[in-house]
Amino acid sequence: MTGKPERLIVDGRRLDGRLPDELRPLRIKAGILKRADGSAYIELGKNKILAAVYGPKEMHPRHLQQADVAVLRCRYNMAPFSVEERKRPGPDRRSMEISKVIREALEPVLFLHLYPRAVIDVFIEILQADAGTRTAGITAASVALADAGIPMRDLVAGISAGKVDGVVVLDLMKEEDQWGEADMPIAVMPRRKQITLLQMDGNFTPEEFRQALDLAFKGIEKIYEAQKEALKEKYLPIEGER
Amino acid sequence: MLFVSNRELVVPGKLLADEEYQAGEGTFLENGKIFSAVVGLAEVKDKSVGVISLQGRYIPRQGDKVIGIVIDTHPFGWIVDLNSPYTGNLMVSDLVGRKVDVFKEDLGKFLKIGDAVIAEVRKVDERWRVQLTASERGLGKIRGGRLVEISPAKVPRVIGRRGSMLKVLEETTGCKLEVGLNGRILVRGKDPKKINSVVEAILLIEREAHLSGLTDRIKAKLEKER
Repeated sequence: MTGKPERLIVDGRRLDGRLPDELRPLRIKAGILKRADGSAYIELGKNKILAAVYGPKEMHPRHLQQADVAVLRCRYNMAPFSVEERKRPGPDRRSMEISKVIREALEPVLFLHLYPRAVIDVFIEILQADAGTRTAGITAASVALADAGIPMRDLVAGISAGKVDGVVVLDLMKEEDQWGEADMPIAVMPRRKQITLLQMDGNFTPEEFRQALDLAFKGIEKIYEAQKEALKEKYLPIEGER
Repeated sequence: MLFVSNRELVVPGKLLADEEYQAGEGTFLENGKIFSAVVGLAEVKDKSVGVISLQGRYIPRQGDKVIGIVIDTHPFGWIVDLNSPYTGNLMVSDLVGRKVDVFKEDLGKFLKIGDAVIAEVRKVDERWRVQLTASERGLGKIRGGRLVEISPAKVPRVIGRRGSMLKVLEETTGCKLEVGLNGRILVRGKDPKKINSVVEAILLIEREAHLSGLTDRIKAKLEKER
């Protein structure tokens, strides 16, 4: 691993040439796994993440069933090869916490009372990580849930905002996450602009926090459009072949 | 006010119409406005708007004809898998159509684990326990044929408008089809080749369910193979 670069922002441009309010290149594809009920693949800069959804299906073991609603289970998992130093496979403190916050970020959009006693499983596999994997994971998971035909109030889009070299920036990449002063992942139901996840690491002044929030909401808009496009795209290309 | 056109592809959270319309299947109401809850095709009929989902599991409903597979037995009947989050319960008397003394008769002679049955959903209660019945004509144990499983959301396309697709499949090949709304379809016929082409046609319908002009393409395909 290389050491800290002297400056993270040079002449208003970031290390990869982006402006402070720019997203990394984003690509989302829906329905790429045949065996899962719903799936999505997302690339956000160097992040590569796969999300798969199973269900609603019968809940086993039975004692975990909820008589009046469906249960949502999420698993966020990093592949051993997703980071520079091999990650020990399997759940750890970090991934279990992230699984929990992702579940809580997705729950508000689902009509879980439609499927009492059932379970919906969401798997988020990080193939390659470059900061902002939890928010990209949420973005992919909500596309996968829609792809599985599960009724939803809205999609959920996630992005991180933060501060590097004293500048409030959108969508931190690894170097900025590592050497920056603040990182704030946020997930939103874009239609009504309701926040379902907000975490923060580092320090913001109240003014910077508001700036970061504004930036994040702007980023969310673009991600939301990409999500909708991805869902529609799945059904359009075949039409072109004819 | 209507915000979509008929058969437009919509995604969850898409505003469809406001309060003067009736909220149909695949939609939800929020502050008097109707939104889509699923990915699907908007369907506008006079004063109601709904969304036909392109994906999703089967949810049992009273009166549905389904094809189930026996996964377990209990003293008075069987537990039947319905390709759904909820399993069905079939009582002996609802299969044979008469009173059965379970102490004198062995239930194994009616159905075994792994057998397939055509059944009708008699009742779904508030706890989503599903009661099946299979004593009527045309229902009961399946004794032969080929079972095809497709996504339940695509079954309406296999049936077609007022059964048009089903008619094409049956008339061009001479096979008999039993369509379970849970995505299982039984194909019966004498010629294995014909059965194969029907199965292939069904899988093609599943793949291209969201495209228009499907009935004509299937008809052309099957007639070419004849």
